Amino acid sequence: MAVEQPTRPTLADRIYDKLFHNYIWKSIFRTGYPNTPRNQMLIVATNVFLHLHPTRIHRTHVKITHTYCLGGLSFFMFLGLTVTGILLMFYYVPSVDRAYLDIQNIQTNVQFGQLMRNMHRWMAHAMVILVFLHMMRVFYTGAYKPPREFNWVVGVILLVLTFLLSFTGYLLPWDQLAFWAITVGTNIAGSAPILGPKTRFWLLGGFEVGQESLIRFYTLHVIGLPLLAAIFMAVHFWRIRRDGGLARPL
Amino acid sequence: MATAVVARPAARPQPRARDEEVLVWPDLVFVEFISALVFTLAIFALSLLINAPLLDEANPDLTPNPSKAPWYLLNLQELLLHMQPALAGVIVPTVWLVIMAAFPYFDQDNEGQGVWFGTENSVRLTVVSTVVAVVGTWLLILWDTGKIAEFMHDWFGISGGRQLAFLENVRALESQLPWPEWSRKIPYLWFDLKILDEGYTGLGPTSFHYLNLPAFLVEQAIPIAAMVGLPSLLIYALWRIGWVNTRRDALIVLFTGFVAVFGVLTVVGTAFRGAGQELVWPWQLEVHEGLPGE
Repeated sequence: MAVEQPTRPTLADRIYDKLFHNYIWKSIFRTGYPNTPRNQMLIVATNVFLHLHPTRIHRTHVKITHTYCLGGLSFFMFLGLTVTGILLMFYYVPSVDRAYLDIQNIQTNVQFGQLMRNMHRWMAHAMVILVFLHMMRVFYTGAYKPPREFNWVVGVILLVLTFLLSFTGYLLPWDQLAFWAITVGTNIAGSAPILGPKTRFWLLGGFEVGQESLIRFYTLHVIGLPLLAAIFMAVHFWRIRRDGGLARPL
Repeated sequence: MATAVVARPAARPQPRARDEEVLVWPDLVFVEFISALVFTLAIFALSLLINAPLLDEANPDLTPNPSKAPWYLLNLQELLLHMQPALAGVIVPTVWLVIMAAFPYFDQDNEGQGVWFGTENSVRLTVVSTVVAVVGTWLLILWDTGKIAEFMHDWFGISGGRQLAFLENVRALESQLPWPEWSRKIPYLWFDLKILDEGYTGLGPTSFHYLNLPAFLVEQAIPIAAMVGLPSLLIYALWRIGWVNTRRDALIVLFTGFVAVFGVLTVVGTAFRGAGQELVWPWQLEVHEGLPGE
């Protein structure tokens, strides 16, 4: 009876071994690819980026037509906007003398600057649309019902924050489109009964769109509102977990 | 000795059959990864093909005509043309957001969750509400811009003449009817209550003393009646024919109507409003720049 002899390792085996079984690699990724159910659950539970998920979910919830990933994609747009936004911040100074020139500079002199600005703009539009569609998905699947009542409220707040993030970013290029859109937009806020003019003054830092408005919108756009949105997103995601994942029929 | 603290879910999830479940790794994580990848590539491709707009540098002395807010606010800008600014720009959106946030507290029934259109009549309610809201909103816009009177006259030769001119649009009710002088200045407070003088508008403080009845009717009462009444009427009619039976059904009509109206107003504001906010075809849209008032 022939006993199967171990074969000599091939070159590919040796390269694989050198790449993935060395000291440095193992210090970063403590385990290899999780190929048993136990390890797959462990990695979701212990990985800092994955632990937002439960370890297992109902099989209907991974069907793409159940959610179309709309909430996840909204969050993904937020991350992408953060990355492209940070890159744009390197070149942009929120001053009425420089802002427009800086945008032109980004488009013409900066490597991939035009691409960065385009991606930031289209992702911003995409995020507004995705958040709105996500709200529709949650409504038509009845996912706001108990025990998820308050998470729907948090979602409405996040919808408003998304609009505000987009609105504050709209002014920053300091072109005719930006200037007049914000003039029209803040005039709408200014028409509120009694408090309107005051609100408009606070938003703009003056009676007209100018340097004070630009610095206010910039600060809100790059730090104030993203922080607020991040806090509400954390609550939003946490409550999904606490409420037992996505809604299911009784 | 450390005591183990076991986190308890705020609301206990329903007991689930283990064999109905899949592992998040790989079944969900890969779906998420692929959808993120697809979107990254799509945004990347879009960004290579279409550049973000950049017009001339901002110039406070050069007003484009029409001046428009960002597209997701154009629905409000469209509303502004039909009613009092404070009502259209601030009160309606605020009240709507509060109503929407209150949905789950109004409809607390557990039925029909976790599946698309999980209740009995939800699909047909959605379809009917969409059609009614889209057609209704377009009709209201066409009427209030005087287009319906124009069509009647140009296409069918029907004209109401001077007697019926007050029906051409909502503001004609104020300008074309013989309102007596006193009705434009009805005192409802015995002193002039003035609140917060901001000054820069030239309008002075908000003053509460007289009621301009025709203006109040046209700018506030009729629009509010339409915005509250028409959805209520639709829900009532659908209740009478037996389609709306639960609070969830009523919310489906309300929410679907909102989405449809929001969509129509956004499209009209974006693609159908030309110079001077005139209602035009999308291919007639032009932006003129000029000094204010020119």
